[in-house]
Amino acid sequence: MKIGLEIHVALPTKSKLFCNCSTEPIEEPNVNICPICMGFPGSKPSLNEEAIVIAKSIAKTLNCKIRDKISFVRKVYFYPDLPKSFQITQLQESIGFDGALEIDNEKTIAIRRVQIEEDPAKIIRGENYSLLDFNRSGIPLVEIVTEPDIQSEDELKSFIFTLKALLYYLGIDIDREIKSDLNISLGKERVEIKNITGTKNLIEAARYEIDRQTRLINKGMEPVKETRSYDEKERVTKTSREKESDEEYGYIYEPDLPEYNIENYSIKGTIDPIKKARELSDKYSYSSKTILEAIAFDRHALDLIEKNQDKYHFDSLMQAVTEIKRFKLNEIDDTSLRILIEEIEGGFQIDEDTIKSIVKHEKVRHDELESSRIDDEIRKFIDENPEVLKRYVKNKKLADYVAGEIIKRYKSKPKEVLKRTIEILNSMINQN
Amino acid sequence: MEGEEFDRLLKISRIKLDEKEKQSIKRDIENILEYFDSVNKFDESKNKLAFHSVEINGEPRKDEVEKFEDRDELLSNTKTYRGFVVGPKI
Amino acid sequence: MSSYIHEFESKVKPKDYYDKVYEELSKVNSRLNAFNVIIKPEQDGVPLSIKDNICVKGVESTASSKILRGYIPPFNATVVDRIFKTKRFSFLGKTNMDEFGFGSFGINCSKPARNPLDEDRVAGGSSSGAAIATALLKYHVAIAESTGGSISSPAAFCGVIGFTPTYSVISRYGLIDYANSLDKIGVMARSADDIRIMLDITKGKDPRDPTSTNTKITDLHHKKLVVIDELLDKVDDKIMSQFNMFIDKLKGLGYTVENISLKEIELSIPAYYLIAMAEASTNLAKFTGFKYGFKAEDFSKPYNDFFTEAREEFGTEAKRRIILGTFIRSASVRDKYYSKSLIIRGELIDRLSKILKDAFIISPTMPILPPKISEADSMSPVQNYAADILTIPANLCGLPHISFPYSYSGSLPLSAQIVGSQFNDYGVISFASEWEKNFKYKFKYNIGEI
Repeated sequence: MKIGLEIHVALPTKSKLFCNCSTEPIEEPNVNICPICMGFPGSKPSLNEEAIVIAKSIAKTLNCKIRDKISFVRKVYFYPDLPKSFQITQLQESIGFDGALEIDNEKTIAIRRVQIEEDPAKIIRGENYSLLDFNRSGIPLVEIVTEPDIQSEDELKSFIFTLKALLYYLGIDIDREIKSDLNISLGKERVEIKNITGTKNLIEAARYEIDRQTRLINKGMEPVKETRSYDEKERVTKTSREKESDEEYGYIYEPDLPEYNIENYSIKGTIDPIKKARELSDKYSYSSKTILEAIAFDRHALDLIEKNQDKYHFDSLMQAVTEIKRFKLNEIDDTSLRILIEEIEGGFQIDEDTIKSIVKHEKVRHDELESSRIDDEIRKFIDENPEVLKRYVKNKKLADYVAGEIIKRYKSKPKEVLKRTIEILNSMINQN
Repeated sequence: MEGEEFDRLLKISRIKLDEKEKQSIKRDIENILEYFDSVNKFDESKNKLAFHSVEINGEPRKDEVEKFEDRDELLSNTKTYRGFVVGPKI
Repeated sequence: MSSYIHEFESKVKPKDYYDKVYEELSKVNSRLNAFNVIIKPEQDGVPLSIKDNICVKGVESTASSKILRGYIPPFNATVVDRIFKTKRFSFLGKTNMDEFGFGSFGINCSKPARNPLDEDRVAGGSSSGAAIATALLKYHVAIAESTGGSISSPAAFCGVIGFTPTYSVISRYGLIDYANSLDKIGVMARSADDIRIMLDITKGKDPRDPTSTNTKITDLHHKKLVVIDELLDKVDDKIMSQFNMFIDKLKGLGYTVENISLKEIELSIPAYYLIAMAEASTNLAKFTGFKYGFKAEDFSKPYNDFFTEAREEFGTEAKRRIILGTFIRSASVRDKYYSKSLIIRGELIDRLSKILKDAFIISPTMPILPPKISEADSMSPVQNYAADILTIPANLCGLPHISFPYSYSGSLPLSAQIVGSQFNDYGVISFASEWEKNFKYKFKYNIGEI
């Protein structure tokens, strides 16, 4: 099985790729528009510097070779959403090429190309017309083209997860629309599924298509070379209209844009969360998968771990990260972290009240009971609830319930309370 | 140029010709291409493509938002419906 | 006499000056088709016309194409902005041209232009209207545009000065593209000094056109003139004998003239047309009949049929170039034609630049006298394209050039073209200024004379 992807990612610039219109998403149609992004005669494109910086950073993160000089091409095809009837994109002179993305220890997916291009307008199908919104027209995109190295649905999933995590660390809003073209061939011929929106649909489309082609092959038939589309409602792929082929796109160099020397362009600090997870895992003998899950889409978590790894026991630190996520604490200062870790290491339960206290830098109040008072309280509870003892004889798990009630009332150390509860219950049974 | 090739060109460039125009333009194009074939006489080993005739240092613009002030005049060129530009059926 | 602009600015204009100019111009225009739109100016400036493929905010700009009828640009071309900002000019209207610039004679449009010096003959093209307007009006400058000779050709046929700058010197923002890597906005006027004034106003880097430059423009006065033999082979005998007399005259003025052979120069025509058509076919793809200009009515038609129907508005030459350009861009022949042409352009630039280091290249501007409109109509495309042999090399290589009359054959002017090295734009203008000290141009019309 061979799967290849072309993934389009919108870049987080303030203005569009070739004009100064805002990229801010807006409900009202045709607000962020000008003669350039509407392709009006006489207008010319003017390239956005920030798009180069971000694209270069993406290429770098994907371990691509980066070209010193870039230029653009025109890809000609006719569709109402394409203002100039050609898209300004890149081909041979793309910003990055020959990259690779490691999706787990054994497997690497080769990246053929990373290119900059413009998004077409948004088109809405009407019964007897179409409606166009040019707010999206000219939004900068990066297209990432892989070699057909992906060999299973699982690999596809981990490729997408890994890519999304990398993009997250470049400040790219992964919840923004990602559009993909998917090539799948189980037989001899390549089937292309065009224009799939979002990663969830991408995986579903792949799953359906793998299944479809498998069934054909099992019947002794060969999947034919074709372009299909993914129907989100029916969750199936369907044969779609023939679009222009490479021969017909009739690429030429974009003569309105010169060559750009980008050698001296800085790139955004690139962080590879996968590598980070692996490093930390090796250093502290902690599950790499758990670390990656914690940091993949959480820069704060990574920062926190890196900053505090020498100060605290790693297990406690990871537990703290989990609690921080659970209570959606975005920022946490050093003092609060220290208190949180003390609580964790003290074996205390972390709840809303704990969090309220540590945020205010207050010592968490435990109605710390003397060990002797713990015993008193347990005995008192059993006296007040005599049925407990009877039931405990049949069901030892009732100790958890009793201990839980005591902890609720006095915020005591859970482990110790449970231990004492079991001892007391056992001794009371023996006495009777 | 084969008739089939010519029809393919018409299709992908979205140009319709009547039979008479078709015959005359096809003949013209064959003559022009024959004339143009002389570029292949130039068989130097050079391979530097001059995309522009002069040297131009590409200077990208800064990422700044600027609103286009004449949106109404822009849209008055076109047919709109509830703010959308109306286009042909897809 | 040096500058008509300065002369006009120093004169007291009669109160009804522009009314009269407007009236007379409108009358002549109905015969000659110089203007697509004439506007009665309100300002007190020098009359200025703008070729119809250059956008003026709020004024219909069609590039003389039916498919752009009704297009009202919501912005000014940079060159227009820069000129209007000086407040020294009064906008007279948009001048006629071959549709999108596709032609050398000014007849590929719905209203073919006529030569004011002999109305049966063509005015040249594609900036036909700009040249006619310059030939008609005493005080006036024309903003025109050249891709392969569209300024030199009509300037020569109508007996005015036509200047085409080095590629990138004048911003193309607001120009309705023919072939972006070849298109150059330039100027026509009745004196070289007026051209210099307009160049100073319009030149320089424009952030809206990334291919514009701020490279320093030089004013090198070379005394050496080079004649390329292969170019003269194609020139009509009658013109040749006059041109030789002109060369002798220049020698008398202290110029040295050197003949050289450059075989590859003949490849400039196919290389030029291949690049121009490849680019043009992409530029014309945007005209699909619903966002601006001509509107196809029936939105319920599937988009491909809708587009194809709208694109029937293109003229025959436009269709021919779209089909050819689309072919040239096909993956299977792209290297053979398109890439090869780009290599040839590079080679020719190298060779011509060497020659131009210490010299100008000189030739007649056109190999023929302006043909009768009926003759031009019956010329085949190949004959048409071959008529551009003298103007194409400089245009292909982005070299500055200027065309000016050096003699007259009856009522018709004979014009020469001076080509300079890249960015020696002032140099070629200075050459024409020098020439004007020794030669008086003849003008049949002087509309707006004060």
